[in-house]
Amino acid sequence: MRISTNTLHAQGLSAILRNEAQMLHTQQQVSSGKRILTPSDDPVAAAQVLDVSQADAMNTQYGVNRSAASDALSLAESSLAQVSSIIGNVRTIAVNAGNAILSDSDRASLAAQLSSALSELQGAANTTDGQGRYLFAGYQSQSQPFTSGPAGVQYNGDDGQRLVQVDSSRQMGVGVSGADAFTRIPNGNGSFVTGEVAGNTATGIINPGSVVNPSALTGHNYSINFSVSSGATTYAVVDTTSSTTLLSAQPYSAGGSIRFDGMDIVVEGAPANGDKFTVAPSTNQSIFKTVQDLVNLLQTPVSAPGDSARLINGLKQGLTNLDQSLSNVLTQRGVIGAKLNEIDALQSTGNNRSVQYQQTLSRLQSVDLNSAISDLTQQQLSLQAAQKSFVQVSGLSLFSYL
Amino acid sequence: MAIGILNAGLSGLGAAQIGLSTTGHNIANVSVPGFNRQQVVQSTQTALATGAGFIGQGTQVSTVRRLYNEFLDHQVLAAQADSSQLSAYYSQIQQIDNMLGDASSGLSPVLQGFFSALQSAANNPADSTSRQAVMNAGDSLAAGFNAMDQSLARMGDAINGQIKSSVASINSYVQQIAQLNQKIVLAQSSASGQPANDLLDQRDALIADLNKEVKVTVLPQSDGASNLFVGNGQALVMGSTAYGLSTLNSPIDPGRVEIGYASPGGTIPLPESGFQGGSLGGLLAFRSQTLDPARNTLGRVAMTLADTFNQQHQLGQDLNGAAGGSFFNISGPQVNASAKNTGNAAISASLSNASALTVSDYRLGFNGTVYTLTRLSDANQQTFASLPQTVDGVTLTLASGAASAGDEFLIRPTVAGAGSISVAVTGADKLALAAPIRATQGNANTGRGSISGGVVNGPPPVNANLQQPVILTFTGAGAFNVSGTGTGNPSGVAYVAGGNISYNGWTVQIRGTPAAGDTFTIGPNSVGVADNRNALLLAGLQTGSFVGGNMSYQSAYANLVGTIGNKTHALDVTSTAQAALVDQSTAARESFSGVNLDEEAAQLMRYQQAYQASAKVMAMAGKLFDAILQLG
Repeated sequence: MRISTNTLHAQGLSAILRNEAQMLHTQQQVSSGKRILTPSDDPVAAAQVLDVSQADAMNTQYGVNRSAASDALSLAESSLAQVSSIIGNVRTIAVNAGNAILSDSDRASLAAQLSSALSELQGAANTTDGQGRYLFAGYQSQSQPFTSGPAGVQYNGDDGQRLVQVDSSRQMGVGVSGADAFTRIPNGNGSFVTGEVAGNTATGIINPGSVVNPSALTGHNYSINFSVSSGATTYAVVDTTSSTTLLSAQPYSAGGSIRFDGMDIVVEGAPANGDKFTVAPSTNQSIFKTVQDLVNLLQTPVSAPGDSARLINGLKQGLTNLDQSLSNVLTQRGVIGAKLNEIDALQSTGNNRSVQYQQTLSRLQSVDLNSAISDLTQQQLSLQAAQKSFVQVSGLSLFSYL
Repeated sequence: MAIGILNAGLSGLGAAQIGLSTTGHNIANVSVPGFNRQQVVQSTQTALATGAGFIGQGTQVSTVRRLYNEFLDHQVLAAQADSSQLSAYYSQIQQIDNMLGDASSGLSPVLQGFFSALQSAANNPADSTSRQAVMNAGDSLAAGFNAMDQSLARMGDAINGQIKSSVASINSYVQQIAQLNQKIVLAQSSASGQPANDLLDQRDALIADLNKEVKVTVLPQSDGASNLFVGNGQALVMGSTAYGLSTLNSPIDPGRVEIGYASPGGTIPLPESGFQGGSLGGLLAFRSQTLDPARNTLGRVAMTLADTFNQQHQLGQDLNGAAGGSFFNISGPQVNASAKNTGNAAISASLSNASALTVSDYRLGFNGTVYTLTRLSDANQQTFASLPQTVDGVTLTLASGAASAGDEFLIRPTVAGAGSISVAVTGADKLALAAPIRATQGNANTGRGSISGGVVNGPPPVNANLQQPVILTFTGAGAFNVSGTGTGNPSGVAYVAGGNISYNGWTVQIRGTPAAGDTFTIGPNSVGVADNRNALLLAGLQTGSFVGGNMSYQSAYANLVGTIGNKTHALDVTSTAQAALVDQSTAARESFSGVNLDEEAAQLMRYQQAYQASAKVMAMAGKLFDAILQLG
């Protein structure tokens, strides 16, 4: 084939230019460390990189969220731990207050201790986070959730619980509502509550009782009425809700159990004729009322024999309620602990995932330096060859011999 | 006799001289673009008839021809037109390709940053710093969209400018070609039909240059002129007359420069489909096939994001307890009425369903009785007898006036999205991160039931009774009564644990075993500053499939990057291949027409020898003549 001089030049030159362009591209890859300089270098991978980097960034954000959740839960947990220990102190004082050798003034000083414990408890319930927001106020974190008033300590918050996105498909509640922690606590033994009727004259003491047959529970109010005639003490059980007498003229033995409608109740001591005890279904009672009731109880002087039984009955009731509060707080702490464990587990999954994403990203977009540098060397070689051959070929001319 | 030999020698001498000067011409013009090597065509002179036969009378130069092959030349032209188109397209799309760049720049990081800020604010909804961070990230996101849209809009402006300058150079080529045609015709007729080689080369070189701008059809005429046609048969050059192209602003889209044909009756717009090939064709193809869709795609992401985000934001409640407004401001679908419309109809378009949006533009025509809506991306047509109509998420309404037959409107649903998006919320406290309602269980509840926080049902506007207090009172373990304004106070509603309970535009779920007498209250979320329910729902939009109904915001953007990347890659490959084809066909033409200096050197020697030989013949004829004279 006939080759024109222009073709010879043009093709030699374009080979050199092509080699230079390739070399520049490889050089840019090596210097940036990236295989994909523009999306056109590998369109599929470029789009994938965007998707994976979004997944990676979201995963990182979930990690941040988990730390926030963990901080909030830990703060709530430490406040609740404080509450547990206060309840423990209150309980010790209440147990001591039952000591028969104490005088009214001894009890008054115990009552003063309980009052300060009550304030401490209220303080714990009004705990704020680092930014002055109340932990146990539900959504209304800017207003004090527990305030004292004529009717005792009131809850002003709500049941709102802040959720945190701790993983792609897991939102975790990190707040504890004040109602759940402090006020919505069933009193008595959780099913029913026992107590004496004011005006009892003798030493009859009623225990909190227990449920022996849950399916037989009615939720009614009852009255246990004692009568003493000719030295024999008997009792009758009346369902005051339906006004029916369940048991009548049962012989009483101190410490013997009284059973009706699935409940087992023990009365001790020697009730006098006409003494009455009540059994009512549990209602919710705040921890503050429980402590306030104890304070009131210890402030009331003891003189008549009935007073001492009233004190013991009141303390028994108070201790039962304290135990309910304590177990409620412990339940809340258990829930928090379980959540903190879950966060730890999610954190390690998140970390693994992050490593995976990084590997994918690096596989998609990072340049393999070994092969890139070997490419560069090869391209350098072919550029040199192109240049050298161009010079040699274009140097040949018949005119040199004319 | 000796005279005859002298004449023969003289004719050889002259021919060799012409040969030498033609070779010199070839050598001198070796690097002139479009030059075709020339060759002397020699033939014998008419022989002298004698009784002894025909005696040769020497040589003559019948013509100097250029080695030009029309077939090879047209192959180069065709390959070159396609190559110019592809490389113009490629160099334009490379700008977008570079702009989309890698994952660390572009829209991806600001989009991610926005939703991360939102999640952080959800962790701390009452904290003004976190809230402000959402505002700032929203501004960055909007700025990211704006900047990218602006770059694309600038490319559109640059293309308008390039079309104008391309048309100007086409017109200048056309003028020169027409003039050369005239010269060629004159020169050839005055040289009794001998080809005007150098003028022809000049003209063909200009045609090649013109062909790089726009693909032309060449029709050679018998008188030596070449007629040129463009597009669908519009004449550019007829003999010595030049007809220019012109540019005009599209009557239906004033921001867009189109190509027109200057005719005595005014400028007639030419359809873009006629301009295939040449860099002008590449520019037009880039604009309609890549630039417009890219801008619309970006706009669609912005519009879908703004619309879905605003809707959820409006279901929330801000730090002051007020209902959320729009978070983003954004322009809706654009409508342009053609300047040639004779009716006074004003058509308005509004967004009705962001998920149904496409990235296409639409043309609405009216023929006097029915409207025809054409989706420009796939030419899908729908006809309506009247407006309003909703198509692909856009509702078209006849705002005022009436259309006349032949009126046209251009509807561009998403073009303005990315350029106009901005943050509408004026203060960090106006971020609606909370829900306007909250559910509370009664303090005296004895059962083991719990109620979910409650969700406001979309889409906005919210129910008028949304915040009316509603009390659910359980009458037993399996049923509850409802009381509150707007609920109709139904009683004995069956309780399904975990089932949805919806009244007044909200939905809650109750789980567990509520006891008789237990109450659950749904009411206004007053001072609920620590509530982050709406923030979580807003953050959750990030992974929802909203764009086009099947893509998240991020994957829609990734899709754009992938599409541009693929197209750029394909153009890189095809333009390289096409350039190779141009090289090949040019080499084939050069192989026939190009100057080879070695060959010319050989020719030089040949004609030099022929010249010397002819001179010798003449010298010998002189000696013969002398010999005869000595006889006398």
